[in-house]
Amino acid sequence: MDATPLLEVSNLSKVYVTGRGLVGRGEIRAVDNVSFTLPGDKPTLVTMVGESGSGKTTIARMILGLTPPTAGTIHYKGRDIWTMNQQEWAQYRRHVQAVFQDPYGTYNPFYKIDRVLELPIRKFGLASSREQARELANEALRAVELRPDDIWGRYSHQLSGGERQRIMLARLYLLRPQLIIADEPVSMIDVSLRAAFLNILLNFEQEYGMSCLFITHDLATGYYLGGQIIILCQGRIVEMGSMDAAVHNPKHPYTQLLVASVPPPDPKERWQEDFDLKLSELRRSPELAKGCVYRDRCPVIGEKCSDVPPTMVTVEENHQVACHLYV
Amino acid sequence: MELGRLWSGSKPLKIGLSILVFLVLVALLQPFINRMLLGDVNPLTMGKFESYLDPSPQHWLGTDRWGRDWMAQLVLGLRYSLIIGALAGSVATFIAVALGFVAGYKGANTDAILRTLTDMILVIPTWPILVTLAAYIKALSVPVMALLLAAFSWPWAMRTIRSQVMSLRRQPYIELAKISNLGDLEIIFQELVPNLLPYLALGLAYSMVGAILAETGLELVGLGPGNIVTLGLMINWALRWGLLTLGKWQMLFAPVICLILLFVSLNLINIGLEETFNPRLKRITGA
Amino acid sequence: MNSALLEVRDVRVYYSSVRGEYKVVDGVSFDVQRNEVLGLAGESGCGKSTLVEGLLRLVVPPGYIKSGEAISDELTKDVSNNCDLLSLTDEEFRQIRWKNISYIPQGSMNSLNPVMKVEDQIMDAILTHSDMSRQEAKERVAELLNAVGLPAGVAGLYPHEMSGGMKQRAIIAAAIALKPKLIIADEPTTALDVSIQRMILQTLKRVRQAIGATIIIVTHDMPVHAQLADRLVIMYAGKVVEIGSIRHLFDDPLHPYSQGLIATIPSITKQRRRLQGILGMAPSPLEWPPGCRFYPRCLSVTEVCKQEEPALREIKPGRFVACHLHR
Repeated sequence: MDATPLLEVSNLSKVYVTGRGLVGRGEIRAVDNVSFTLPGDKPTLVTMVGESGSGKTTIARMILGLTPPTAGTIHYKGRDIWTMNQQEWAQYRRHVQAVFQDPYGTYNPFYKIDRVLELPIRKFGLASSREQARELANEALRAVELRPDDIWGRYSHQLSGGERQRIMLARLYLLRPQLIIADEPVSMIDVSLRAAFLNILLNFEQEYGMSCLFITHDLATGYYLGGQIIILCQGRIVEMGSMDAAVHNPKHPYTQLLVASVPPPDPKERWQEDFDLKLSELRRSPELAKGCVYRDRCPVIGEKCSDVPPTMVTVEENHQVACHLYV
Repeated sequence: MELGRLWSGSKPLKIGLSILVFLVLVALLQPFINRMLLGDVNPLTMGKFESYLDPSPQHWLGTDRWGRDWMAQLVLGLRYSLIIGALAGSVATFIAVALGFVAGYKGANTDAILRTLTDMILVIPTWPILVTLAAYIKALSVPVMALLLAAFSWPWAMRTIRSQVMSLRRQPYIELAKISNLGDLEIIFQELVPNLLPYLALGLAYSMVGAILAETGLELVGLGPGNIVTLGLMINWALRWGLLTLGKWQMLFAPVICLILLFVSLNLINIGLEETFNPRLKRITGA
Repeated sequence: MNSALLEVRDVRVYYSSVRGEYKVVDGVSFDVQRNEVLGLAGESGCGKSTLVEGLLRLVVPPGYIKSGEAISDELTKDVSNNCDLLSLTDEEFRQIRWKNISYIPQGSMNSLNPVMKVEDQIMDAILTHSDMSRQEAKERVAELLNAVGLPAGVAGLYPHEMSGGMKQRAIIAAAIALKPKLIIADEPTTALDVSIQRMILQTLKRVRQAIGATIIIVTHDMPVHAQLADRLVIMYAGKVVEIGSIRHLFDDPLHPYSQGLIATIPSITKQRRRLQGILGMAPSPLEWPPGCRFYPRCLSVTEVCKQEEPALREIKPGRFVACHLHR
């Protein structure tokens, strides 16, 4: 059995420096010492949940090679991606692909939709003739339940958001990556069109063995996908493990807040009591980074929380928390 | 690109393009028009006709001080003005595009260097330098004139292109192109350039206008290439010979109106292009 | 005696363009009862935001109100004999804005004036629309901030010193400043982080109880309706497809579109089940298809659906559906 993890992120950090000279330098730790692993022996679906400023998109961009990290490493099947040579990088691009958030912006408005499918076939040499390429693309469209005749020759503005995102999945079907980085892929499409997309993603995992790092701010969507969860707060992981464990038995106060904030879609399950939320929203400052980044809002703040950043501990099987309550 | 919709979408564009096409046609057909007006005579030959003749069916605008048909010279002048404008504009645009794309796409240090270079040229007072160089260069031919004009008019277009490229650089489809293993050059040419064609066209139009304006200015002070006639030179002559006091106002106005038509048409095209393409670029999607 | 606060009757809002008329709102009718929270639901392109803009006389050319009435005795009685909001003069409507009807537009927290203190901005609104003295207005602002759960110190803050949640609550405070009888909120939680969503929804509930206002909430986010709304109006393709109490709509939706919509919402509290979406895409307002506008996507479509547009009928007391399956 291949024990090398598919993806190993170790101590990853991304720090932005702000201000210069007279104004004084400050830094924003968009991603702060993040570590997690996707196993190599079976396909996994990991949902990365975080709000704005959590660093989730920055992590995605670093894994995709679009932004270099300030510190830490990302290993794909044992190789550090930031030290790969040209060839290895081309392979990496083939095996680690993405779906982005904006169903309109990912299509170059100058070209027809066709190009989105034809380009990867050409660039990665997936077919040896035009007919073969077309056949491959048709098969991909059918795999995401789209009719090829409805798609060829169209421009992106002639299709719905849901269809556009599914074409992105068709593109993934062509490439059969090992890992899909999905950055908020359904937040900009209508609710009624999301299920189709999510179900295809699940299908890709089960039938074609594609692992997925699914990034979202919507816990309910992540819960539907099941699998694993990583919860980010201000660039740090506060809780991770199995989705069910984290949602039904949340340990970190932030996770508890997130779970309590998802409005149940049933009038019979209305919130009965007012949830008392501390007023201040999370600020960022180097001083804050010295301890736990959640302490401004935490209802159970303790002594150590201001001085020492909490480390990740295991509270039960497949469930870890970074919080001084659990040391 | 839906050219048909381009045409019908904007009134300024239609008008501007029509005028420009007309003027260009006249310039292109100059040899034929000349033959029609004068037979085989070179319009610059002196003494062919009597001086200062009034407008007549043989000479629509009359003749000038040296007995040359003014209309024939107008057509010739238009031709040369356009040639200089097109040459200078093209060279300037070419430089602007090359530098603008590289600066905008690469960003960081490359951008910093190129921007500084551009800014340096921008702040140089163009007019005095042009005048000085034009006076200094003895053999001022058309290509040299064009290069001279181009050398100082590319910065503006470069900055526009650069900022457009910078704004497009962040678009999701560029990121998609990167993870599809496209190289930098491929991204610039295949993804960015097609979307910037309207801006490139705009840049070209502005450069041409600028070049013709600068050239006219130089001609007016007598610093243009001496061996050809341009609209600017004709205005120079009209002023020098005091044609207004002679009552020959049509000879002064003709080249002026020609120039005005040229500028108006190019500016209308600019307006039209902006009108058409800005709403396009901000297209609202129905999801 | 009719207890409806507002009767919307056959409102049509069209947009003219070179390509033709966009019939964005095409015959919408419903009642708004006193003291209720009415939810207006539907996905992108259904016309709900445009409808609200129409009711609030905010439609600008090339849009225009084609026809229809919005009758309210109570909201118009102090400015005119004319009970139709849509046909009041601009001056008359200006007088009832903020006083009788207030509006919280989408993303309004970003429309706070960055160079004025929050207190001053709210006072401005109060002083412009009422005869209060400066002192009275100032006291009112303190009351309002308290009503939305903001501490008094917030009054002296500038918008950039406030978090998104604080800004949104300040906007709500401004909206209730003159104790309006009707408050219309368009996507009040959409732009906010999940953890603040609950706080805003709670604030709206509190506010409603405190001043006894009627609220219309416009959002595509169904769980928000589940939490707040008493009754729900579901729109599709410019028309109303179903109206009913919130319980009825969630437990037993009648219109196939409503059914699809409810079935597609993920929940973290219930057992996981496979979500179904609605296939296809909403038609374009430029050319509504003949017959029922939902028929191309409807799983229960019949022949008559393709030819005849179903009218909105009250099939049980308080339950309205526009569907041939229910007569």
